[in-house]
Amino acid sequence: MPVDATHYTSAGVQFVDPQVVARIGNLQLLARTVVDGFINGFHKAPYLGVSVDFAEHRGYMPGDDIRFIDWRVFARTDRFYMKQFDADTNTNFSVLLDVSRSMSFGSTGITKLDYARYLTGCLCYLSSKQHDRVGLMMFDDRIVEYVPASAKHLEIVLHKLDKVEAKRAGDLAPPMFQSTELFKRRSMLIVVSDFYEDPQTVVDAIRPLRYAGNDVAVFRVLDPAEINFPYEEASTFQDLETGRKLPVVPEKLREQYRQLVKEHTTSIEKLCGQNQIDYALFDTSMPLDHALFKYLAMRRKMRKTR
Amino acid sequence: MAFLAPLFFFGLATLAVPVIIHMIQRERKEVVEFPSLMFLRKIPYHSFRRQRIRNWFLLLLRCAAIALLVAAFARPFFRVSSVAAVMLGAREVVVLLDRSYSMGYGDRWSRAQDAAAEVINELGPEDRATVIFFDSGAEVGPRSTTERASLARLIADAEPGAGTTRFGPALELAEGIFQDSDLPRLEAVLISDFQRSGVESAEGVRFPDGTVLTPVAVTDETADTTENVSVAGVTFEREYFSGRERLSVLARVTNRGNNPVTRLNVTLEFADREVETFSADLPPNGSTTVSFSPVTLGNAAVNGAVRIDGDRLLTDDTFYFVASPGQVVNVLIVGNERAASAGALYLSRALGIGSSPAFDVVTHSINDFNASSLNGRQVVVLNDTRPPTGQTMAELERFVAEGGGLLVAAGERSVWSPEATTLLPGTLGSPIDRPGHGGSLAYVDYSHPVFELFGGPRSGDVTSARFFRYRPIEVVDSATVLARFDDGLPALVERSVGDGRVVFWASTLDNFWNDLALKPVYLPFVHRLAGYLATYTVPPPWLPVGQVLNLAEQRSLLAKASLTDVDLVAISPSGTRISVSQSERAGFLTLTEQGFYEIRNATTTEDSALTLAANVDLSESDLSTIDPDELASSVMGRTTGGREEAGNRPVREFTNEVRERRQGVWWYLLILAFGLFVAETAVSNRLSRTSLQVD
Repeated sequence: MPVDATHYTSAGVQFVDPQVVARIGNLQLLARTVVDGFINGFHKAPYLGVSVDFAEHRGYMPGDDIRFIDWRVFARTDRFYMKQFDADTNTNFSVLLDVSRSMSFGSTGITKLDYARYLTGCLCYLSSKQHDRVGLMMFDDRIVEYVPASAKHLEIVLHKLDKVEAKRAGDLAPPMFQSTELFKRRSMLIVVSDFYEDPQTVVDAIRPLRYAGNDVAVFRVLDPAEINFPYEEASTFQDLETGRKLPVVPEKLREQYRQLVKEHTTSIEKLCGQNQIDYALFDTSMPLDHALFKYLAMRRKMRKTR
Repeated sequence: MAFLAPLFFFGLATLAVPVIIHMIQRERKEVVEFPSLMFLRKIPYHSFRRQRIRNWFLLLLRCAAIALLVAAFARPFFRVSSVAAVMLGAREVVVLLDRSYSMGYGDRWSRAQDAAAEVINELGPEDRATVIFFDSGAEVGPRSTTERASLARLIADAEPGAGTTRFGPALELAEGIFQDSDLPRLEAVLISDFQRSGVESAEGVRFPDGTVLTPVAVTDETADTTENVSVAGVTFEREYFSGRERLSVLARVTNRGNNPVTRLNVTLEFADREVETFSADLPPNGSTTVSFSPVTLGNAAVNGAVRIDGDRLLTDDTFYFVASPGQVVNVLIVGNERAASAGALYLSRALGIGSSPAFDVVTHSINDFNASSLNGRQVVVLNDTRPPTGQTMAELERFVAEGGGLLVAAGERSVWSPEATTLLPGTLGSPIDRPGHGGSLAYVDYSHPVFELFGGPRSGDVTSARFFRYRPIEVVDSATVLARFDDGLPALVERSVGDGRVVFWASTLDNFWNDLALKPVYLPFVHRLAGYLATYTVPPPWLPVGQVLNLAEQRSLLAKASLTDVDLVAISPSGTRISVSQSERAGFLTLTEQGFYEIRNATTTEDSALTLAANVDLSESDLSTIDPDELASSVMGRTTGGREEAGNRPVREFTNEVRERRQGVWWYLLILAFGLFVAETAVSNRLSRTSLQVD
């Protein structure tokens, strides 16, 4: 569901400019600044305090944990019924972050990797505040770093985020395939990347994670220049990952480029939707808390559809 | 149209530059890093709009600007301009009118005026003309004017002068006018009697190519035009009889005609009075000398003239002169107390000879020498004696300071104390002996008036004298050494004191210390030395017409007429008053007329005046002529190579360089190219802004 930033602005939320928070060197402090401000601005929102809400009863089955038998119902009906709740308050939350060289691009003073790091940090911090176990996997054409999900791993996650650099070319399929072995327990997985792959390839790479029972969301991070292609002078463009050079006349290609990007985005979004994978597009000029809104909106949707 | 530097058209290859820049596939050097090129197609430049010319107007503008720039450097010019100008008939006409005194022969001058007036009358409305009057110099009226009336009036008012014919200055002046002219047809009309004597000055003069020089000879071909008798000059013989000076005038009369002249009356006049007339016969192309009887002169100069019967050329029939009384230089020789007269024997005898000037010599011993001895003296010679003392010395110093001359000759007794040497040009030393053959003069300043007489070959060898003894002199800074011995010591030293001169001679003036007195050069040497010390100048009996007289050099003559330090005015023979002091060249007087010039005080009417006689140059009396066409062909430049248009009149052929320089087309092309570049800048900027707005 697209989120309208102006809606939250009218609710009194102070959006945080990514370029401003980039000045905060400490990633934990940055995440806390963004998330706390975000929560304070949302203290009247209906999404908080939903973690242990009662959902329904079901009949007792042998092997069920007798701690969840509703004894009051048993007293009235003399039958065993089990209490079930809407959500697991201690779910695993992991972010799969693309650290390929294409993520080092930035035209607005902040690179896509920086934006993705801040976003990941904020999401992990927010999840940790909700007592979720947080984990991290960083990849390019293979898995670069892996931090298993744990309630105590927030510090490690933030540290790894702080130190990571974009060095090599990216390839989505191999690390995604490997990651299916790492996330055995159902988790909420956020894949953060620019997804410069064929849309079908992207979905094919991510789909196994979804089939493993994980809640998967795809956050696509792009620079405004990648979306609008504002270049004027005819220049030689160089691919950050392959090093390949290409003479380009921007004024000629601009419209075609925009159309191709739009089609690519639409195609990924469509395929993700078909595979029950949430999709969101972020450009690096978008405030970070705006991204958090998107995330929470997704969680609510996940809970309702579960 | 043609081009002076057509090789510059290779520069048109630069026209391809804007096209090539526009069309060529050329990747920019700066690289833009981009996350992924998966959406960017590789499109070469040449496959897109760079291969397509988007704005033809801009391209044409650039190409035109470059083409104009190249054309400007190629220096274009139009060949047809001169032809076009010919069709208009414009001419630059220079009339050169000879006004030397030979043009006064018969009716030559009136015929010359008629010929010049006719040329002026034939001028077209677009023609420009200049009239140059010439004799030995050239005078130009209004330059390149179309006002025919003023030119005609100028010709009508002109009269022949007293100068000689020299074609050179006039032709050079005309050449300058032609070179400054931008008219295609250049014509000169030379109206003269074409005397041979004036041709030499025209060597090297050459009119611009295409100039036509039309000679108009005003001589009468049917008559003997060389028939002319003139007074060629006079000489004086002076003698003294009964204490009075008598002057005999000898006049030389020349017949330049081919026929003998008989019974020609030759008359001597003094102060406008006829004194004596002789009848003379002259052979063809010959001359004779007429000797008049001696005439006693008074104390003042008198104007004289020798006249002959008038012929067709009157100007050279009278010769004017000023007969001045002979001048005497008074010399006082002061000898030592022992042999004043004996020591001055050679000197006094030498000065006693001669009449130009005559020397009045008085000899005293040093003991008899006093202040009164200086009265009326112009030169004092201290000959081998000690210096005077006391009041006498003071008077001697005053005498020199006021313009007197002092000659100090060394000798055995010429012992001067340091206090007494203030007049001398240095300090005297003890005598130096030169045994054997003795010494000689090794350095002589032949540019000095004393020695200039000996400067020429076979004019006397002053170095032949032997000097066996002389006194060294330590020369002061203000003195000038005129001669040195062969050992380098000064022999003759000069020093100016006030208005006077002091000369020191390091040896004796007799034959005691040297043998100079026995040499032939002795007499002219002492004459020149005494004349120099007396500031003796020969008053010129006459001067040639055309001479520029520097009055500053005539101080002695002006002083005799009491005309120093006053404003002067010269009255010419025709009565014209010429303010000499306030003229363009103050102090200079140009003698342009024949006859007597009087120089007077401009502020008073006193009779005191300096009279100068001026006579024409007799080379003009030789009326032999040259072929006018010969002179014209030597002056005219290259012909037009047979190209004749507009009524068979030669057209001036400009060189390509001259055409290009006169037309200056490149300048306009350069301005136009610059304008196009400015327009190109404006258009391209506007197109760029429009393109950005569309994006």
